[in-house]
Amino acid sequence: MATDATQPRQTGEIETALLACATGDKSALRRIYEAESPRMLGVAQRLLKRRALAEEAVQDAFVLVWRHAARFDPERGAGLTWIYAILRNRSLSILRDEKRTETSDTPIAEETASEEDDPETVMSKLSDATALRACLEMLPPQRRGLVLLAFVQGLTHGEIAGRLKLPLGTVKSWIRRSLLSLKECLG
Amino acid sequence: MSPAADAASPEYNALAGEYVLGLLEGQERDAAERRQDSEPAFAAAVESWRRHLAALDATATPITPSADLWPRIEAAIAGLAQSATAAVRSGQVATGPSRLAEWWNSLFVWRGAAFAGALATILLAVGLVGALDRAKRQPLMVAVLLTDSNAAAAVVHTFADGRVEMLPLQSIDVPAGKALEIWTLWDRAVGPRSVGLIDRARSTPLRLDNLPLGKDQLFEITLEPATGSPTGRPTGPIIAKGTTSQRL
Repeated sequence: MATDATQPRQTGEIETALLACATGDKSALRRIYEAESPRMLGVAQRLLKRRALAEEAVQDAFVLVWRHAARFDPERGAGLTWIYAILRNRSLSILRDEKRTETSDTPIAEETASEEDDPETVMSKLSDATALRACLEMLPPQRRGLVLLAFVQGLTHGEIAGRLKLPLGTVKSWIRRSLLSLKECLG
Repeated sequence: MSPAADAASPEYNALAGEYVLGLLEGQERDAAERRQDSEPAFAAAVESWRRHLAALDATATPITPSADLWPRIEAAIAGLAQSATAAVRSGQVATGPSRLAEWWNSLFVWRGAAFAGALATILLAVGLVGALDRAKRQPLMVAVLLTDSNAAAAVVHTFADGRVEMLPLQSIDVPAGKALEIWTLWDRAVGPRSVGLIDRARSTPLRLDNLPLGKDQLFEITLEPATGSPTGRPTGPIIAKGTTSQRL
């Protein structure tokens, strides 16, 4: 079984701040903002491509973190994982809603992602120390790419199929099989 | 492909992975969210995927936020108490974030009740006199709100005196703990604003107060928590939407 994979941990700081947020301590939210907002904005930008929307997602995420801080349970998982799950959920709903109500000429899904966000570049930036990297490297590059496009750029099955000119069923089953292999490897 | 119910099966875990990747949509996604709340094994599988995939979020290039992002967050948090009182006004039970907020809300309940009573008396008096006249008044603008499948779900009428009302055309399924929130969007730069919150599909006046109102203005209904959207922006699925047109 591979070793546990996480980003550099500020041990307990985020968890402590979240517990303080639950008691109404706004300076604790500010500490999380100072520590995490640039990277949160980076994650939202990769998903949403537009800066204004990315900032909106980060704003909403902080409001939700504040509002739901009392629901955070350190027993169930790390504080950062919880915060990024909220951010990703918010970003994905903004992304799906924008696509539905889109009025601009360049649909968001077709907006070109920065080269930094293409699957192989993301792979190269992935820390050597993570179990995820070792396990992704065991997948054929094209299949690994599908998983990365979904997570990093928020593409749907259909969008991935369109972009890579693959049948939808193939995309769905490749991703599913990649997840099964990843799970096996990650333990 | 029905997801296996067996918590130990690899398929069950792959489903949790698809959920974390953001690949589930619509009903599948709702079902996964419910499982996360009700099945500890599923929640643990989700948490494990999130923990591993967090390494990918760590590869995002950090971007310095605009200087006004923190002030906007502070303002939104300060506005939470206000939106809670808005929910009370439209008949919802607000769960305030603190005791102070609860007290504040209950004050509004009583003020609101007294005000509503007085208003009802006035409306009744005016209504009796104006009933005939009002029958003749017609809306200035109409928006037909369509569902995803292009069925007309509701209409919005605007009147010369500034009143705006929404009339449902079909019943809308509202799960327990949820409500329908009505939004208007006149400028994408400003974003959508909430103009009403109802517990089920029923005719309701919309509070546009000082908001602009014009032709081709978007109105939409989304499914939100019973106390309204937690962010002040639409967060739930869009039930129906449409834009205003001028009556001939």
